[in-house]
Amino acid sequence: MFGFAKKAIEIADKHNADFADIRIIETRRQTLNVKNGELGALNDSVTLGFGVRVLFNGAWGFASSDVIASREVERVTRLALDIAKASSTLKNKKARLAPEPAYQDFWQTPFITDPFSITAEKKLDLLFAVDKILRKDSRIRSAVSGMNFIREHQWHMTTEGSRIEQVLLSSGAGYLALAVDKDSAQVRSYPSTHGGQTLSMGYELIDSLDLVENAERVRCEALALLSAPPCPSGAKDLIISGNQLALQIHESVGHASELDRVLGYEESYAGSSFATIEKLGKFRYASPIVNLVADATLPGGLATAGYDDDAVKAQRWHIVKNGILSGYMTNREFAGRIGQNRSRGSCRADGHNNIPITRICNLSLMPGTISASDLIKDTKDGIIMENNKSWSIDQKRLNFQFGCEIGWLVKNGKKTTMVKNPTYQGITPEFWNSCDAIADENSWRLWGVANCGKGQPPQTAMMCHGNSPSRFRKVKIGVKSSD
Amino acid sequence: MQNHKTICARIMRLAGRCRTEVIITSADSALTRFANNVISQNVSNTSTDISVRLMDRGRMTRFSLNQFSEVALKTAFAAALASLKTQKKDPLLLPFSSSVPISASKNLFFPGTAALPPDERAARISLLIKKCKKSGATAYGTYENGAVATTVANNIGVNAFYKESYAVYGVTVRDKDGFGWAEELASDATQIDFARVDRIAMEKARLSRNPRTIKPGRYTVILEPAAAADLMFYLGIYGFGAQFCQEGQSFVAGRLGEKVMSSEITIEDNALDGPSAGMPFDYEGQPRKKVTLIDRGVARAIVHDRKTAALARTTTTGHALPMPNTSGPIPMNLSLAKGSTSMDEMIKSTKKGILITNFHYSNLLKPLTVEITGMTRNGTFMIENGRVTYPVKNMRFTESAVDAFNMVESVGDKPETYLSWGRVSSPALKIRGFNFSSATEF
Repeated sequence: MFGFAKKAIEIADKHNADFADIRIIETRRQTLNVKNGELGALNDSVTLGFGVRVLFNGAWGFASSDVIASREVERVTRLALDIAKASSTLKNKKARLAPEPAYQDFWQTPFITDPFSITAEKKLDLLFAVDKILRKDSRIRSAVSGMNFIREHQWHMTTEGSRIEQVLLSSGAGYLALAVDKDSAQVRSYPSTHGGQTLSMGYELIDSLDLVENAERVRCEALALLSAPPCPSGAKDLIISGNQLALQIHESVGHASELDRVLGYEESYAGSSFATIEKLGKFRYASPIVNLVADATLPGGLATAGYDDDAVKAQRWHIVKNGILSGYMTNREFAGRIGQNRSRGSCRADGHNNIPITRICNLSLMPGTISASDLIKDTKDGIIMENNKSWSIDQKRLNFQFGCEIGWLVKNGKKTTMVKNPTYQGITPEFWNSCDAIADENSWRLWGVANCGKGQPPQTAMMCHGNSPSRFRKVKIGVKSSD
Repeated sequence: MQNHKTICARIMRLAGRCRTEVIITSADSALTRFANNVISQNVSNTSTDISVRLMDRGRMTRFSLNQFSEVALKTAFAAALASLKTQKKDPLLLPFSSSVPISASKNLFFPGTAALPPDERAARISLLIKKCKKSGATAYGTYENGAVATTVANNIGVNAFYKESYAVYGVTVRDKDGFGWAEELASDATQIDFARVDRIAMEKARLSRNPRTIKPGRYTVILEPAAAADLMFYLGIYGFGAQFCQEGQSFVAGRLGEKVMSSEITIEDNALDGPSAGMPFDYEGQPRKKVTLIDRGVARAIVHDRKTAALARTTTTGHALPMPNTSGPIPMNLSLAKGSTSMDEMIKSTKKGILITNFHYSNLLKPLTVEITGMTRNGTFMIENGRVTYPVKNMRFTESAVDAFNMVESVGDKPETYLSWGRVSSPALKIRGFNFSSATEF
């Protein structure tokens, strides 16, 4: 493939481009779903294509195609050059890339079992077994279980001399049961919502999830929610973990720390960020026990790779250190704007047909010191919320509201009544500064976000957010549309 | 753009006697994005995606690819046929449909729009940026264009093809701490009133400087078309699809024929004509029918694919997504019928209320009531005694869209159309007692 890629580099060099790269990507996906006893999806997909990015006279152009032919790579590279020339008519100052050594390397996601070597029959047998348990009660009106596997083979070549080949693998699985009665529709999911748990692993992830073993509990909890009292309104100590805390990290710290947003380059769509650059190193984002670390080297992380799509080597760095804003997600174009002489390597594209943009890396809340059980024992008047159901945050990443599938009240150190439709609202720095306890490493887990949308045209990216159960003091809960 | 007929012929030849359905989607797309008064991203993409569904005596599988050489297709077919043999029989699996006549929809393909070059997009954007620089404001947004062609075919007679072009010009302007926004969508880029979009976004940004904090609570609101269309989108997805109704998740489940909204509200799904027209067939190759979903507040119908129609013992309305899927049929060409009240009249008749340009990051809380939360964005203003008096800081709403559509007092006379999941067209709406649950700092 590098032979094919070379053509684009030669054309860009011939035209004296400041920088150019070509990414050729072959993606294999398999999606399987079972819904209410029927096959919901069984799709095997293979795509191949390339994207050429050109920086010319300090301005960007990008073009892509799925026609793998010498004449097409010429056309696409010349188109990218023309687009860059059009961009350069409306620029302020020339875009410059932070320096990075050239690499010739191969990197691959470690795995034990190739998920594509497991037959569809075996995978579907597991999903049908789960489905059967979920639908043992007629009040379960919808049961959906599924698996997803993606293998992305990348060949990345730059005018700076990098030739990087990577094979990134992810596996995911999960299910939900929807219980409906006259007044309510309640859902429970396992292991998490939004498609289940996805990590950069092989089929061993699926084997580790105990999908069948948890199905009965999930069904029973969905049914119990129908008659559970609603989440009370007021201020309570909130304990969250799992994919809810992952999404809290994602929305209120991850996106807020993307440097392109901070600098205004996402204003027209997803918005900007309150975490502006004059706050770097000074702003108390969270209580001193909070450490949030970005890490592209994290085993199992969905953003883990040898290199990002700027050809920058994977790194680990603090976004929030002892509660203080300490870093951003950066690409090579914007790193210099905050005085960094090297990008953190957080620039990624969705497939071959999108331009790389600044992305959230794996971003995890470091474990604390208290055990998860003592965290509950130590809480007098609180609520535990589990599994994200809805999310919304404002365009500067300040005011947020989350809804979860299920809640349990905590009274004098004991988990008590189950409640339905739990929600909470907050303002990002106030919320993170109210964090007064984080459970230790024994309950720390990695949670995948496999559907992060950003950019125009829209792109999807994947990343992980590790966390252990954490407590936030006096949070506004039980937000209602009507009294 | 690739020749769909050639690709289809190659696939059907390889399929032989195996029942086969093909969906081909080709797209040429380009987008120029600007921010901080410069072009920040500028991209172009050419793609063809082929999705093939095979069926054999109650068994089914699907594969997809974007390479259609003989070798690539033969390899994919061999793997899919092997997978097909291992599937369990599904007694409920519907066979493919045979050919059904499809009515022509209005022409939405304009070659000039499909092929708009990057320098023309840049030239258009430069006019806005000059105006913004002159007034001390900053421009953000996108100008995108392209064309999409879709074929749905099978080897028992279905063969439907459709092509459309599109152009979208969307502008956000920041003027100190004020923000404004406007957008226009057209199949023919020459129909976009660029100067109007620029003017509205700049004017809103200027007027929304120095916003004041107000207390969250219930207010009369005037939702401009984009904000109203956002609520419509959620009603469409979670309210009017037959599968959601059959599962008991929709607010119209068991309520067809009942009044469920204000009598000011009439909603239809119409791919054939009107402001949300588009592809005249669905992903089973069935003609999309015009369906009146809400008629003066009364729930009249829902949309079906062949599977939900069979369960309900009715016929499909032509609203299938690619099969199989877990979502069921979805209305993708929604429009809310315009009323007779102008924006000026809505404002003049309001003693105290809030004018909302757009919503941001809305998300569903409860499907049965279509309860949604989200933020106001890009121009939120207080109305007092029939006049817009001052800008207000953005607020979070937490409200049932069904309740909100029950509290509609008047409907605007100028609908606008937006792209979301399909097209949604809505005029402005004046709604009583709309709930804001909290505020933010800007």
